Amino acid sequence: MQAYLRDPHVQLMLRAKDGDESAFTDLVMAYQDRLIAVFTHILGDQDAAQDLTQDVFLRVYRARNGYQPTAKFSTWLFRIANNLASNSRRMKSRRKEVPLEPKESDSTAARPGLHVVAEKSGLMPSRIAASAELREVIRGALETLNERQKLAVLLNKFEEMSYEDIGETMELSSAAVKSLLARAREVLRDKLEQYVR
Amino acid sequence: MSTDGPKIQRLSAEQRDNLVAYLDGELDEPNAQEIERILARNPVARNDVEMLMRTWELLDNLPRAAATEEFTQKTLSTLKAIDVTEPITEKPWFDKVRRGAIVAGWLGGLALSALLGFLVTNQFIPNETRQLVNDLPVIENLHKYVEADNITFLEQLRLGGDFNQPRDR
Repeated sequence: MQAYLRDPHVQLMLRAKDGDESAFTDLVMAYQDRLIAVFTHILGDQDAAQDLTQDVFLRVYRARNGYQPTAKFSTWLFRIANNLASNSRRMKSRRKEVPLEPKESDSTAARPGLHVVAEKSGLMPSRIAASAELREVIRGALETLNERQKLAVLLNKFEEMSYEDIGETMELSSAAVKSLLARAREVLRDKLEQYVR
Repeated sequence: MSTDGPKIQRLSAEQRDNLVAYLDGELDEPNAQEIERILARNPVARNDVEMLMRTWELLDNLPRAAATEEFTQKTLSTLKAIDVTEPITEKPWFDKVRRGAIVAGWLGGLALSALLGFLVTNQFIPNETRQLVNDLPVIENLHKYVEADNITFLEQLRLGGDFNQPRDR
C-alpha cells in the first residue's frame, strides 16, 4: 500500500476523497483522452467511447469517499473501465444489437474486410504506408483480436502497462497476460507482415 | 508465420511466448539469455522477432481519439451536479459525523441508564443509613426517655427548662 501512495494520481484521488474538487478535475484532464482512445478501439465508436468514459468518471467520483489505494491509480481506473466496457457489451448483446466486434472464437479467422481493403487498394504495401488505407488495414487487423487480446494489446501498446499491471486491470495472472499478448501479437504479425516488407 | 529463411528449428509455444515477453522487456534473466542464444543461432526466430517488432510498430499509425472541449465541460458540470444532488450520506464529512454521533449516543445512553438506575434503587430499596439519620434525635436522647416515666413528665421538664442545662457527666 505504501508504494501506491507515491503514485501522484493516487494522491490526487485521496485529495478528491477529502473534498478537493480541483484534484478530481486534474484526474479527469489526465485520463479522459486515454480512456476515450482505448474505448474507441474497443467499441469502434467514438461517441459510445465518450459516453462510457464519462460513466467511468461518474462512478469513480461517486466512489471517492470509500476510496482506499490498493493499486496504481491507472490500474484501478482501467479495471473499472474494463468492467464497464464488459457490462456495456453484455447489455448490447442481450438487446441483440449488431455486434461491433467479432466473436472471440473468430480471433484468428481471416477478416474479409482486411483483405478487401488490401485488394481494393491495388497498391503495393510500400505505397500505402502511412496512408489512411494503412490505418484501416491496421484497424482491421486489431479487430481480428478477441476482446481480451485487444484490451491487453491496447494497454500494453498505448498505456505502456507492464504485464503485472495489465494482469491487475484484467484480473489475470502475469503468465496469462504473457500468453494472451503472445497470441495477439502473432495474429497481428500474420495479418500485417505483408505491409512491413 | 514466417515462410522465408531457412527452416532450422521450430520454436516451442513457450519459446514463442518468451520471444514476445523478451521484446517487451518482461523476461527474467535466465529466460532472456536463452532467447538470445536462440536468436543467435536461429534465423527463423530472428525473422520472427523482426516481424513481431515491425508489425507492433505499425500500431503507432492508429489514430488516437481525444476528448473534445465539449466533453470535458459536460463531464465536469455533471460532476458538479452530482455534488448538488448528492444525498447527505454521500458527503465526505458524513462518515465522521455519523461515527461521532454513534459514540455520543452510546455515552448518553449509558449516562441515562446510570441515572435511572440510581433513581430506581434510591426510591424502592430501603436505606438503613437514612433510617438511622432519621432516628438520630431519639437515639441521642434515649437516656432521658428511659429515665422518664411518661410523656407528660417529660413535657413538664422541657417547660421547666431542665433540658437547657448541661448534663452532669
